[in-house]
Amino acid sequence: MELFTPDFGLVFWMFVCFAVLFFLLWKFAWPAIMKGVDSRAELIDQGVLYAQQAKEQLDSAKLQAEKFEDEARARQAEILREADRMKSQIIEEARTEAAREAKKEMDAAKVAIEQARKEAQQSFRNEVSAFALDIAQKVVRTELADPAAQARLVDSILDQMEPGK
Amino acid sequence: MKHLKAITILFLLLVSALAVPAKAADFDPKEIIFEHLGDGYGWEVPFDHHHRMPLPVIVCDQSGSWHCFSSAHLDHHAVYADGDVTWHVPAEGDNKGKVVQILADGSEYRPIDLSITKNVMALFITVLVVLAVCMPVARWHKRHGFKAPRRFVGAVESLIDFVYTGVIKPTLGQDARRFAPFLLTIFMFIFIMNLMGLMVIFPGGANLTGNIAVTMVLALLTFFVTNLFGRKHYWKEIFWPDVPMWLKCPIPIMQVIEVFGVFTKPASLTVRLFANMMGGHMIVIVLTLIIFILADFGAAALGATTVVSLLFSIFMLVLDVLVSFIQAFVFTMLSTTFIAMAQERGHDDHHSESTTLAK
Repeated sequence: MELFTPDFGLVFWMFVCFAVLFFLLWKFAWPAIMKGVDSRAELIDQGVLYAQQAKEQLDSAKLQAEKFEDEARARQAEILREADRMKSQIIEEARTEAAREAKKEMDAAKVAIEQARKEAQQSFRNEVSAFALDIAQKVVRTELADPAAQARLVDSILDQMEPGK
Repeated sequence: MKHLKAITILFLLLVSALAVPAKAADFDPKEIIFEHLGDGYGWEVPFDHHHRMPLPVIVCDQSGSWHCFSSAHLDHHAVYADGDVTWHVPAEGDNKGKVVQILADGSEYRPIDLSITKNVMALFITVLVVLAVCMPVARWHKRHGFKAPRRFVGAVESLIDFVYTGVIKPTLGQDARRFAPFLLTIFMFIFIMNLMGLMVIFPGGANLTGNIAVTMVLALLTFFVTNLFGRKHYWKEIFWPDVPMWLKCPIPIMQVIEVFGVFTKPASLTVRLFANMMGGHMIVIVLTLIIFILADFGAAALGATTVVSLLFSIFMLVLDVLVSFIQAFVFTMLSTTFIAMAQERGHDDHHSESTTLAK
């Protein structure tokens, strides 16, 4: 049957056509197309990879920033606490210092007062003894006007001076 | 959608009304079918059954000198005398439809025939179309680098990319760049040939991939590429495969099977493409001819058959567009697989690849 017997002429021309077509495409078309397709695929792959990396970096940067923020916040709190502590310490110190000063003043005042009091006591005593001597002189003078009374007094003093009595 | 339906019905009614019972006296469906499936020295002109576009006939006569003349001289089985040599296309006999030299004693001599027949002309046109389709893609890539093309160039590129990245690269791996030009050329060539065959008038209409000479050449090319570039491992697998000794040593059972397999591969490629494409063409022609065969049964039958045949023909043609792509793709895919099997480098480095291929 004609359909199943290959024609020599057609086989010949088919070889020629294919050879020409293959040569032209192999020379001018396929390398450029394959290069283009491959390089585009590569570019897309790289782009995806790059985007992934960028996302990862962004995520890590965010994390880093958060960490920094937390640290800063902790530091801030620390500093505030420290300042607070220092404040109270300074106040405390000032208070003790003031108390000490006051106590010193008070002590000094007390000593002065004591001194004054003692001096006053001393002078009062002196005055009192002077008064007493005066009074006693006056009393004795009046009392010893009578000789009998003088004798009695001498007796009583002698009695007192006698150690055996 | 509503309009489309109305237009279709109107069109079909018009077609059935136009189909006047007019049957040629010497109507021979078989003749017409084989004329359309086969080759010819001229190219049919649409709506004209008496004239053909003349094409050059190139033949070598018995004495060894070449003759080139227009096929118009041979139309309607005329006898043509080119100098002292007479040429003729017999209407029947062994050389039916082929140009023959009539010798002095009246016997026929079949010359070496390199005529630009309808199929050869269609081949030339196909080559030009393939170039016109592929070159813009290459130009785009040279000019714009990795940018994605748009419109037609983009469509062709995605087709090429589909075959290249989808089949050739995964199957051939590191050898992809070496064999891709051949495989891509095969794919584009077959695909365009298939599609051109579906067009019913001039630039198309030649049943190229439904011609066994064409598919045989394509399969032979794959055969040559497979075997000429085959590696040591491929030949070892054929002549000393990894099977029990009794299968290969005293009686070479495996060797016979393997060598047989080397030749059945191109044969299967040839017949698959040929039968699929020829079958598609034949069904469309037969569906069209049914209209004329049933013309005897009156206008009603004729009208009804026309509508039904037309619908079926359109369906078959649309299906053939799909088949055109599938067959081109299958041919390329099998060629890739055969070449990849011949490119294996033995068990050490590519064992995993070979097992996946075997599956």
